[in-house]
Amino acid sequence: MSQRNVLLQVARRGGSFLSLVRKIWQHPKGRVGLIMVGCLALVAILAPVLAPYDPYDVTQRAAKGLRPSWEHPLGTTITTGQDILSMLIYGSRVSLAIGLTTGVALAVLGALMGVMAGYIGGPVDTLIMRIVDILLVIPTLPLIIVLTNLLGRSYFVIVLVFVAFGWTGLARVIRSLVLVLKNSNYVKAAELAGASRWYIMTKHILPGTSHLIIMNTTLTCAGIMVAEAGLSFLGLGDPTAISWGKMLAEAQGGGALLFGAWWWILAPGAGIFLAVFSFMRIGIVMEEVFNPRMKASSSIHKLFKHLNHSYLDEVFRSMEDDGGAESTEKPDPAEPSTTEGGHD
Amino acid sequence: MKRSYVIKRILYALFIFIVVLTLNFFIPRLGVRDPAERYYPPQGAMSDIEYEIIKQFTREQYGFDVSTFQQYIRYVRGLMRLDLGTSLRPGSPRVVELIGQRLPWTLVLSVTTLIISLIIGLLFGTLAAWKRGRWQDTLLLNASTISVALPSFFIALMLSFYLGFELELFPAYTNPNMVAEFDWSWNAIQVVFNNAALPIMSMALGGIVGYSQSTRNSVIAVTNEDFVITARAKGLSHTTVLYKHVLRNALLPLATSIGMSISGLIGGAIIIERVFNWQGMGTLFLEANSTNDYPLMMGIMLFLSAFAILANLVTELFYAILDPRVTVGDKR
Repeated sequence: MSQRNVLLQVARRGGSFLSLVRKIWQHPKGRVGLIMVGCLALVAILAPVLAPYDPYDVTQRAAKGLRPSWEHPLGTTITTGQDILSMLIYGSRVSLAIGLTTGVALAVLGALMGVMAGYIGGPVDTLIMRIVDILLVIPTLPLIIVLTNLLGRSYFVIVLVFVAFGWTGLARVIRSLVLVLKNSNYVKAAELAGASRWYIMTKHILPGTSHLIIMNTTLTCAGIMVAEAGLSFLGLGDPTAISWGKMLAEAQGGGALLFGAWWWILAPGAGIFLAVFSFMRIGIVMEEVFNPRMKASSSIHKLFKHLNHSYLDEVFRSMEDDGGAESTEKPDPAEPSTTEGGHD
Repeated sequence: MKRSYVIKRILYALFIFIVVLTLNFFIPRLGVRDPAERYYPPQGAMSDIEYEIIKQFTREQYGFDVSTFQQYIRYVRGLMRLDLGTSLRPGSPRVVELIGQRLPWTLVLSVTTLIISLIIGLLFGTLAAWKRGRWQDTLLLNASTISVALPSFFIALMLSFYLGFELELFPAYTNPNMVAEFDWSWNAIQVVFNNAALPIMSMALGGIVGYSQSTRNSVIAVTNEDFVITARAKGLSHTTVLYKHVLRNALLPLATSIGMSISGLIGGAIIIERVFNWQGMGTLFLEANSTNDYPLMMGIMLFLSAFAILANLVTELFYAILDPRVTVGDKR
């Protein structure tokens, strides 16, 4: 089976958003992921209710550097005596908010660009793909550092920068799917019937790509959460909010390593891990549901491209049509695949 | 390989480079104020004319005496002589020299990381493909899922804490005298690798996971090919089939990814270098950022982009040699 058919298959396994959630729920791994994401969302929303202490309270001189105990389940920081559990709970807000807003915005922009490049073709396609090529070689992390310096360190800017430079991967995937859909009979029939381009794009092409978009968005959210933690760790996040990356940076700066305050490092790390892991789970299960031939390992391969040593760079380089997707089946030499790893 | 294809790729790479160069010049400029306004001494008792002369002098010093476009021309001209301008640091060191000093240290990290993760990744990946579906494969898959969700700087912190501070196996922070005292003696090289151990470990984990999974998938794909089945049917031994038929073909896509991996590793080492205070390009960039040293920032960004463009080009040409179908017709 060729890549083309795989893509078509993904496109045809349609259904509403609800049925999609139901399918994931029926999968045991997916259920775990959904429950974890649900819990995270609840924690983030109910943070003021759940947090036992005020995470911003830096005046607890008597409570500095406490080990985990019943009063402070995750201990306190050794510099200011902040309660780590409360900080962790508040930190989930930043991760989730940034992950979700960026993920959704990226999905919209990436899908738009991909559909335009694929369906309109011609100079529009060339222009978009040139921009993609250029964005791919600019080192993303340094650029983001420069831009946050320039535009100010607020979460709005961070999301904006992530979106502006992160849409390339999704656009490429969508473009290759659209190229396949464009030649399918129902689109040709619609064209013959005199449907306008806009109508075909929104009514015929976009619905076909929706699953690919949702699938990629879930994995992107996971990648962005790690990237955001990295930025906050470098001290480039919003200085007024508590985030997991910033907690890690404070722990290192505050001598947690030196004084053996392992709980101060472990807690935010576990927070990042759980959030990323649950989104990843859902993404992997979605790939299995839509495309049973695709094994979990290929999603990992894809995610690796995200979260690699240079995750920020790779987050955006990811989602190119990966070799992993078709690797479990035989390549079909007779039919040039519509998607190439790397460069087409 | 067709010559026209090669020329086309080189010209395209050049085009991308020029665009990146331009963006790279103008984007950081947006945040740079007129140095005469920024560094001027208070007017005090100076007359307006004197004051204007001093301001003009400051502008000339920083190259702001001409319009932005002329500055751009000047920058491009300098670039042709491999001159990236001077840093704003005390003593005005040249950007090229600063990058030259720090680059080898980043390369030590990234190249060693790449070699280690390639070797281990290949071994694990081949093993997992060979034992497909058995516990080795499952174990590797689960380990990969877990480690992919761990940010590398968190791994770095934990390694630094456990192996560095608790067990004292390796230095938890880079020895600040390492760079100054380096003299190519065997002892100095040992010190470098001792200090590099933890950064390399924290960077290699991601690479090992990635390479092992892609090797696994690639090996399995090749194993299903007809020529492998033929080789088996001929009665060749398992190891012969593995080395001579499967691996040779399965590793091609990996070989082509190495160039991009190095450029990604150099850019991505920023956070790890920060954790261990390793004196490489990453810390240089962060220093430049915190002091608003824009010529230095521009220089590093341009260097990294140029490296990525070059790695891309080499990969494409290399791929065209390996797979001549690529050069026939435009694939897009």
